[in-house]
Amino acid sequence: MNTNLKISNVTKIYPGCVANDNVSLEFNSGKIYALLGENGAGKSTLVKILSGVIIPDEGKIYLNENNLKLNSPLDAKKNDIGMVFQHFNLFETLSVFENLIIDSDEERESLREKIDSIMRKYNFSIDLDIPVLNLSAGQKQKVEIIRCLIRNPKVLIMDEPTSVLTEQETSELFLSLKKFSEEGILIIYITHKLKEVMELCDEVAVMRRGKLVSVSEIKNENIESLANKMVGQNLKTIKKKKEKTSSDQLINIINLNFISEDPFETNLSDINFSVNRGECLGIAGISGNGQSELFQVLSGEIISDKNSIEFNKNYIGDLNPQERREYLMAFSPEDRLEQAAIPQMAIFENVALNNFKSSNFFNNGLINENKIKEHSKKIISDFNVNTDNIELKSQFLSGGNLQKLIIGRELITSPDLLICFNPTWGLDVGAINYIHETLIKINEQNKSIILISTDTDELLKLSDKISVIHKGKLSKIMNADEVTSEKLGILMGGGN
Amino acid sequence: MIKIVKRDQPSRAIFFLTPILAIFLTLVAGGLIFYILGFKPFEALKFFFIVPIADKYGFSELLLKATPLCLIAIGLSFCFKSNNWNIGAEGQLTFGAIVSGGVALLFYEQEGFYILPIVILAGAIGGMLYASIPAILKTYFNTNEILVSLMLVYVSKLILDYLVVGPWSNPEGFNFPETRQFSDSARLPLLFEGLRIHAGIFLALAAVVISWFVFYKTYLGFQMKVSGFSLKTAKYAGYKGKKMIILVFLISGACAGLAGVGEITGPIGQLHREVSPDYGFTAIIVAFLGRLHPVGIIFASLVVAITYLGAETAQIFMQIPKYTGQVFQGMILFFLLASDYLLFFKFKFIGSKK
Repeated sequence: MNTNLKISNVTKIYPGCVANDNVSLEFNSGKIYALLGENGAGKSTLVKILSGVIIPDEGKIYLNENNLKLNSPLDAKKNDIGMVFQHFNLFETLSVFENLIIDSDEERESLREKIDSIMRKYNFSIDLDIPVLNLSAGQKQKVEIIRCLIRNPKVLIMDEPTSVLTEQETSELFLSLKKFSEEGILIIYITHKLKEVMELCDEVAVMRRGKLVSVSEIKNENIESLANKMVGQNLKTIKKKKEKTSSDQLINIINLNFISEDPFETNLSDINFSVNRGECLGIAGISGNGQSELFQVLSGEIISDKNSIEFNKNYIGDLNPQERREYLMAFSPEDRLEQAAIPQMAIFENVALNNFKSSNFFNNGLINENKIKEHSKKIISDFNVNTDNIELKSQFLSGGNLQKLIIGRELITSPDLLICFNPTWGLDVGAINYIHETLIKINEQNKSIILISTDTDELLKLSDKISVIHKGKLSKIMNADEVTSEKLGILMGGGN
Repeated sequence: MIKIVKRDQPSRAIFFLTPILAIFLTLVAGGLIFYILGFKPFEALKFFFIVPIADKYGFSELLLKATPLCLIAIGLSFCFKSNNWNIGAEGQLTFGAIVSGGVALLFYEQEGFYILPIVILAGAIGGMLYASIPAILKTYFNTNEILVSLMLVYVSKLILDYLVVGPWSNPEGFNFPETRQFSDSARLPLLFEGLRIHAGIFLALAAVVISWFVFYKTYLGFQMKVSGFSLKTAKYAGYKGKKMIILVFLISGACAGLAGVGEITGPIGQLHREVSPDYGFTAIIVAFLGRLHPVGIIFASLVVAITYLGAETAQIFMQIPKYTGQVFQGMILFFLLASDYLLFFKFKFIGSKK
């Protein structure tokens, strides 16, 4: 049976911002629809309206000509609308099966059979009886999808599903989504990644600042045309000038090993590499192959053997992050909200987290608030953070602005080496461009970067040399211009 | 029609106004309860809140009750601000009282200026030791500090019970569950002839000033705050996050222990079964009513202290049980939590603006 979902004149106004401005859209089953837009374009608001999380100020929603009253997520479920959010809503310590049974009123046995048949049908392989915390991001997402499929949905909405997935997991997801679509499930796919839209979807609706900008078929579009619609201006493409880098060695990692006591962490074995001044070393890999551990070892969150890290002719393996900063290293961790910044604290307080002695943030154990605020203002203006209130809690910054603040904070001490881990994770095109430009500028100033990233395109764009991490081991280091994404893909999967 | 709208960001003015609103609502609800019980609301509230502090003696009693509340709440504010939920201050108070009482008993026949400082120090150390248990279990074994600190309250009360009935009971005390009287040198001096207010109030005031300074002005305070929000961030910044957690527990324990010292070396001068009428628990209300801010905590401790006194006068003059005091304390917390809703949401009158 055909499913027809119609959004009619939906408006949602938040204080100071019109999230959805008179949006009307129509979807039919058998096709995969992309809802494309930058962060803050209003796409999340629209899908939250569809899934009953938010009630619109005006407008109606029709499913097969029936006017739906979606006052709660439960209403959406009852009306066969399934939703997989960007951030997983799973209980980490419960088993997969317990997570699935939680919002179902079916019998345990029949539900288990149903889940098994779903998994067989779509080639999912997940152990139902292990706790969710043992699953990879891709598997967790499958659990969320199964949770929707149990209810035989007519509509399945995916909100930025690939932001946590590796390339392989992404292509698996796409296969599944295409299969769902063939079976008559109407799929709405929310993203800001243009390549995915081109690869997966049949039709695309572009939103910008709460308004629907265009609806078109994919075959009439290309990446550039979509990007321009999404951003509303012509984007300049960034290209790194590949210059001859110096042979002046800055950091040298010598036989570095890390054996974790935590069974869910990856051990690092025999890591050896060096980075010259003005160079960017990219480290590719599928997430969970030791990137996080490598970052922590390099930043000093995990302390290693003194002689295993030589930086600027000093052995610093046994120093903590604060001590390493004094040797002119800087770090931008992957997790913006839980590690790199504290959302509940003001912007200027977050700036003080990078306590570099000569910035004089703290004198004789006392806080030097004026100095910190002065510094914060400089970061905000130098790095285009979109606010002028440094007392604002950083939770009110968008992801892109927060990342600019973090990178700015790390760079304001003009370090010789910046180590960053997935710096553009989950950001919109504009912010990604800005961060990429900044990273290129660092190299141009003869400073070095170690870029650990799961985004292959980003690595190929920014790196001078590339290595791949797989199961805690680094591949040999290659020149970036000799590497293709296919070759990286093979190495990331453990091949040669 | 009234519509509830989410605020763009929590309102700072409302942050300090909600405690006042909560107190106002408590008075209204309290008046209503008195009315239902058959009293004249205004008269009853007058007995509860005004009569007890109308004279010099009453005012001294107010300060006497407010002192431990303020001291403990200041200590707790360190824990709460850094997201460590120490709710076992009552136990830390009791254990502080036990240790300082034990030391005071050692000196029971002696006089000397050195005795009181040792007794005070012993109380602080006792409280710290007791608070270090949930702190260490939390940092090294990932236990939940709420449960551990709460359960330890009952352990400490049983230890105290055992001591005052058994080994430490007064040999000349006809088997009353209490120890000997401490010597005068082990007692906090009374401030005025005939009033019970004692020098412990200076400990509380010192704690207020020091805590304000540490938390708002020092690097140490900043590190505590960061570690409380996220250990991962603390590690990334290069702080010793676990040590910070233990430190806030120790500070909180020391303050509670000092409150215990004040209780036993002040007007009473001996250890007995009931060293504290749940000051350790009530101080949690004080800490939140005072918005975890040192100045706020001073005012909050005075307000909550009245409920202790009011309950006593109400029992005497209106023949209602003194547990009414706890009803009022509960209502204050209830209304405070409820009015916190206004921090994040506001009412909008539809039709007025469109």
